[in-house]
Amino acid sequence: MNLPFAKLIVSKKLESTILVVLLVIVFKFIFPTTESWAAKIFGELLVFFALLLSTIYAAKFTALRKDNPISLLINSGILNAVVFFLIALSSTLFDVLPKLSSSITLIYTIISLLVSFTFMLSVGYIFSSLRELYILKQKKETHKSYDSMVTFFILSFFAALIPDTESNPNFVGLTLFVVSILLIVVNSFRVSWIAFLSKKQKLSLLFISTLLAVLFGLNFALSFDESFINQMLVNFSPGLHIVFRIVMIYGTIYSSIIFFTALFHLPTAEAFDKKVAEASSLKSLSKLITTVFDFKELADTITGLTNEVSNSDSSWLVTKSGDEWELSSVSNIGFVEADEITKVLHQEGILKKEEYITYNKKKVKVQIKNDIRKFEFQALAVSPLKVHNNNKGFLFAVRRYNLPFEEDEKKSIQAFADYAAVALENAKLIEESIEKERLKSELNVARDIQYKIIPSQTPSCKELDIAAHFIPAFEVGGDYYDFFQLTEEKLGIVIADVSGKGIGAAFIMAEIKGIFESLTRMIESPRDLLIKVNQILSRTLDKKTFVTAIYGVVDKSKGVFKFARAGHMPVYFCRNGGTKQLIPNGIGLGLNFQETFDDTLEEVELQLNENDVVALYTDGVTEAKNIHYDEFDFKRLEETLKDCAQYSSEYLKNKIINKISTFVQGNSQYDDITFVLFKWTSNNKSSGVN
Amino acid sequence: MADFNVSTRGVGSVKVIDVKGYLDAHTAPDLEREFNKLIDENDFKVVVNFDELKYISSAGLGVFMAYVETMRENSGDIKFSNMQDDVYNIFDLLGFPVLYEFFKDESAAIQKFDESKLD
Repeated sequence: MNLPFAKLIVSKKLESTILVVLLVIVFKFIFPTTESWAAKIFGELLVFFALLLSTIYAAKFTALRKDNPISLLINSGILNAVVFFLIALSSTLFDVLPKLSSSITLIYTIISLLVSFTFMLSVGYIFSSLRELYILKQKKETHKSYDSMVTFFILSFFAALIPDTESNPNFVGLTLFVVSILLIVVNSFRVSWIAFLSKKQKLSLLFISTLLAVLFGLNFALSFDESFINQMLVNFSPGLHIVFRIVMIYGTIYSSIIFFTALFHLPTAEAFDKKVAEASSLKSLSKLITTVFDFKELADTITGLTNEVSNSDSSWLVTKSGDEWELSSVSNIGFVEADEITKVLHQEGILKKEEYITYNKKKVKVQIKNDIRKFEFQALAVSPLKVHNNNKGFLFAVRRYNLPFEEDEKKSIQAFADYAAVALENAKLIEESIEKERLKSELNVARDIQYKIIPSQTPSCKELDIAAHFIPAFEVGGDYYDFFQLTEEKLGIVIADVSGKGIGAAFIMAEIKGIFESLTRMIESPRDLLIKVNQILSRTLDKKTFVTAIYGVVDKSKGVFKFARAGHMPVYFCRNGGTKQLIPNGIGLGLNFQETFDDTLEEVELQLNENDVVALYTDGVTEAKNIHYDEFDFKRLEETLKDCAQYSSEYLKNKIINKISTFVQGNSQYDDITFVLFKWTSNNKSSGVN
Repeated sequence: MADFNVSTRGVGSVKVIDVKGYLDAHTAPDLEREFNKLIDENDFKVVVNFDELKYISSAGLGVFMAYVETMRENSGDIKFSNMQDDVYNIFDLLGFPVLYEFFKDESAAIQKFDESKLD
């Protein structure tokens, strides 16, 4: 067969089959009986192709049932029964029909065609069913012995043409037939699919295979009978008759082997079923691990599956919540009961060891309200849920009525608990990471808001050159600086540091911003203003929290900086290449809400000269640490100010940032770093501190 | 993080808390626990010995603010002693010396408690 022809047959199975069948019919009508060898051979070839094609066509249907071997067998059985019925019928009519048919050739031909095609189709279907069973659950692609068996079937088909008489028997045909049977035996041992059937299926298989073996055997035996049907078949095509016989013996042998295999598999069928159920439970759990992240749902599934895996009556799951054990899920037991039983077991110290323990005949007495209930478990298994040697909870499985757990059931509970521990841990981690993600995005929002609270630009005017800088240690911080244009001539400047870090400090920082926003419009004196701020803060600050601040006002017309310091870092005043710390008295906001605060607070006035620089900063600057816990300290800040005060405030700012980051060398930032620098650029007369 | 260590000893009717190392937001709860214990036992006269304290952060300072009121209401106090200069400087800038008593050494602080008892 060349390739295009083969393709055509495969793509148009039904059409090709019908065509060849029609050819056979036409041929048989023209030559109902023939002695010519050429016609005989041609006829046999046609029948062979019809048989081949109908087998290929039948394979289309048998392939659909490859997942259901029993149904394949039943269908073969039905066809067998039909064939048997035909043969049996013909035997009873043996005396009547020959006389009729030999005289009326046409009727004989029609009947012969009908009968032969029935046989042909049956042979085709049964053979392709057997083939389907053969390749079922086979791992190998090549089937040498099977292919040679089919080759011998074909050879036997054609060998049947050789005349077979008493004096001159057809030895070729006989030899091929015997070899075929041997190959059938070899190939019939491919029955591994039986192992995968459930116990129920194996039982029905036992019954069906018996029936099939009998039917196949009968049909095979009857094919040697000198019956009318057999003669009709031999007349139609000797090859078909032989192949029919071969397929029948194939069926007999295969059915018998199925019968014995099923019989031997029966005692282990139940265990096998259980293993399959366990495997599928584990499979569904492992699927859950990757798809279900809801802790509660997962816990419920685990307890449900535990019952299936171990054939237990009830199961429940407890997980650690803080230092307590918390009941997370129950299956087939009351929540209160499971909770109480767990408590009793806990009191008995069973949970302390965090080891897998099983008990036979365990009695547990619990008291629920005023009712004392006794539980008598036939078996109890307590399995810790360990992840990385860290116990996360316990899985309990009990049997109330049946026998104690078998060794393999104990193992499967333990294996299941290990699996469940990982699944639950996963779910928990995912829940936590979702929560973290949410908090992170909230913090990002908070950070954006904080950056809006801090002025985005420094005020620009000809008398002052101002630069400012703010970097929180975390997303948000408690440092604050701001500028207030009080009048045309007066600019308010504040720097503040809330004790503590992070969100808590950021809230107070925002509050401080609000207080300053409103008070700077009303109170002119920095000292009075800070006293008022302290009073307002007394309502909101907790005992542990305080705020340090410097508030000052630059009078541009006079060149004066008037300020007060509430516990804040010293002010640096830079003039003519020298620096000086200014520390007027004043205690931190929130340290004292009485007169002490007011009495202590001092206000000073600074007369500014051309190029004088004032530096305000938070302790994040001086306390910036390198990996050896050394601090940046006043010394380094002072040096930088000395060296660079002659330059613009922006330059000085960058220099300070630079020095700090060189000093800490990638060590993480501990505290918010904030500073405000301003330089007096307008000519003025007097000098010094008043 | 750096270490922090806190321990309490009794000297007469006065309790002395020794703080060592780095007192910051992480280690402040240890000190709080110590103060809570003292309050539970009705010990309100406290001297904190800073001899071996290397660093104190604002969270550390907050601890004293949180407890000083309770101590004073029960005719006790929190007094500080043996502070190194750089640590004292932090307290000083904040104005603590106006609100708390600082002593060069522990015995002077204890003596101050004993004197007030005689009054």
